[in-house]
Amino acid sequence: MSLLDFARGTALQWSLYIFVVGIIWRILGAALVMRRKDMSQARISGAERVKEGAMTILTRSVPPETFEKRIRFSHITGYLWHIGYFVVVLFFIPHILFIKSFLGFEWPGLPNPMILVIGAITLATLVALLVRRMTHPVLKLISTADDYISWLVAALPLITGYMVVARVGLHYETLLGLHVLSFCLLLIWFPFGKLMHVFFIFPSRYNVGAIFARRGVRV
Amino acid sequence: MTDNKTLAERLRERGVSRRGFMKFCAATASMMALPPLMIPRIAAALEQARRPSVIWLSFQECTGCTESLTRSHAPTIEGLIFDHISLDYHHTLQAAAGDAAEHAREAAMQENEGEYLLVVDGSIPLKDDGIYSTIAGITNLSMLEDVAAGAAAIISVGTCAAFGGIPHANPNPTGAVGVSEIITDKPIVNVPGCPPIPTVITGVLAHYLTFGRLPELDSLNRPMVFFGQTIHDRCYRRPFYERGQFADTFDDEGARKGWCLFKLGCKGPTTYNACATAKWNDSVSFPIQAGHGCIGCSEPNFWDKGAFYEPLSAGRWGTPAALGAAVVAGAAIGLGSAALARKRQAEASEEKDI
Amino acid sequence: MDNLESIAVRVEDGLDESLRTDNVWPLLRQIEQALQSLQESGSETVIDLGAMPFSAQDEQDLRERLGRGEVNATVEAFGPTLVQETAFAGVWLVEYLDAEQRRLTLHLQIARIPDLLITPADDLADSLASLRRANRDFSAAPTEDVQ
Ligand code: SF4
Repeated sequence: MSLLDFARGTALQWSLYIFVVGIIWRILGAALVMRRKDMSQARISGAERVKEGAMTILTRSVPPETFEKRIRFSHITGYLWHIGYFVVVLFFIPHILFIKSFLGFEWPGLPNPMILVIGAITLATLVALLVRRMTHPVLKLISTADDYISWLVAALPLITGYMVVARVGLHYETLLGLHVLSFCLLLIWFPFGKLMHVFFIFPSRYNVGAIFARRGVRV
Repeated sequence: MTDNKTLAERLRERGVSRRGFMKFCAATASMMALPPLMIPRIAAALEQARRPSVIWLSFQECTGCTESLTRSHAPTIEGLIFDHISLDYHHTLQAAAGDAAEHAREAAMQENEGEYLLVVDGSIPLKDDGIYSTIAGITNLSMLEDVAAGAAAIISVGTCAAFGGIPHANPNPTGAVGVSEIITDKPIVNVPGCPPIPTVITGVLAHYLTFGRLPELDSLNRPMVFFGQTIHDRCYRRPFYERGQFADTFDDEGARKGWCLFKLGCKGPTTYNACATAKWNDSVSFPIQAGHGCIGCSEPNFWDKGAFYEPLSAGRWGTPAALGAAVVAGAAIGLGSAALARKRQAEASEEKDI
Repeated sequence: MDNLESIAVRVEDGLDESLRTDNVWPLLRQIEQALQSLQESGSETVIDLGAMPFSAQDEQDLRERLGRGEVNATVEAFGPTLVQETAFAGVWLVEYLDAEQRRLTLHLQIARIPDLLITPADDLADSLASLRRANRDFSAAPTEDVQ
């Protein structure tokens, strides 16, 4: 069996299983954990609380004015690489066909040169963010191994993807195998590290908003 | 059987002039994918080249490789080169049959011990002592070992001889393998393809004739000049691939416009061969030009690499049942850990209450 | 089957505009450099167009750009070879065909004269010998008086 066959066969299957087990485990675990009963007097109705929770998802997605200046860099770079990443993942045609082999449907993609440019911007942003994390005194202090591993695991598919396109050193199919393996690694690490924020970020924003709203506070 | 004329003398005898000979060298260089700079060297070498003895063994095969080689119309460069070698044994092409044929092989082996070239097409069955394919009562395995022992070099023609090919495909009932799984102490060139491109076969022969040694090989022992790049690298539909213009079915607008066949399962990006430039049937066309994706026939195990019509980037995701099991397992662990957490939370708050 | 027209089949003849490989432009630059070194140092260059991805469309583009020059020759040896000077002196297209008019390969040669046209030195001795023989036969022939 060649590396590519292994990567997109056995490795892909097992990492998918681990991913699914991990995701469901963590979501259920978080959802079913006991919550302390809120003894405070509810200031607004339940329906309004839902609205406020939903609003918080939006308001937390833009930086508050007070901090705007100080966090502009992380703010812009954060959006930049997330969007770039999604475009590359979802609109590169071989990727679409990859997803189609799982979901069974497809959508139009973008020409390769565009993907290459967007991917380059994304990768550059990621590198800039890593450099900042490693040099900024406060960020450095609060960064854990999880942050670095999650960075690496997210960046590897981009890096290997570029290697496939640019054909650096090895045979195309070997590089493609490595690229798929890097995706497998992402799947495996996903539920257990900070990448899990993809699932938790909006529910937790909602929660914060709804809890504060009940107490009459708007965030 | 083996006369001692050089190729240049042979051509001259046929009335080919010096200019004709130089032209022959130019065409040979092009066929061997060597730069024109090499033409004078090729000419000098071919002047000296003697007629080599070639023993051609056909094992588990369909004769497609021989067909490919002999179907080119005479007088071509392929034909001339093929005529120049002394083909002392070849089932399909030799006049002798039965014992006489085997004697011819033995005689050639003795006469040219250590110098003859061995060409193999077809795979070799190993299971049950190799009884699944025999010639004159001799198993392919022992004939190969016997003939290879005295060969200067071996050329494995076709994917079967190179990597096991179709006989080797799952479940491989005869235990078929390629030559290099058996012979490890001789220089071997693999010229895979199902069948290989005729000019590639003769290109390798020409290289051997010209330089007296085998060409530069890649990690799978394929000649670099022909197998150095993928079909995709040299495909004329490549611009469509880059622009994201694909045929979705074999009869849609895209197919008619000649767009890229990646979505229809083209294996061009992972297939190393010269079809896109050398082409087939006297350079008329090649599969992609005819509207069908590459099936990767020159790659090891091409038959077992998934469906021919599945896009190369498709994943093998496993069965829905396994996925369902993963969901159930995840739910079980999740519920379990939630219950545990609740218990601990309850205990903690009880403690506080006390 | 008199409804063949209703089947959407398009016969591919002629050239397809889209089948360009982007190789013509780099090639023209390469020719430019080769021509420069021919002029400066007399060194010749041969480029094998059969060895690179080059579509029929590319070839037509190239031929159009290079145009036709003054010299046009056919060498009949082992099938015809068409030697054509382009509009740029010193740049030659040499097309090798076999006896059945199938192309063996196409060369671009940057030289004062393609070597195929030069009489091979090897042939001079043969040629002289056979001419001498012919002349001897001629003078020995008793038919006419020759001065
Ligand atoms: S048809 Fe195949 S080889 Fe050609 S560009 Fe498309 S994928 Fe590549």
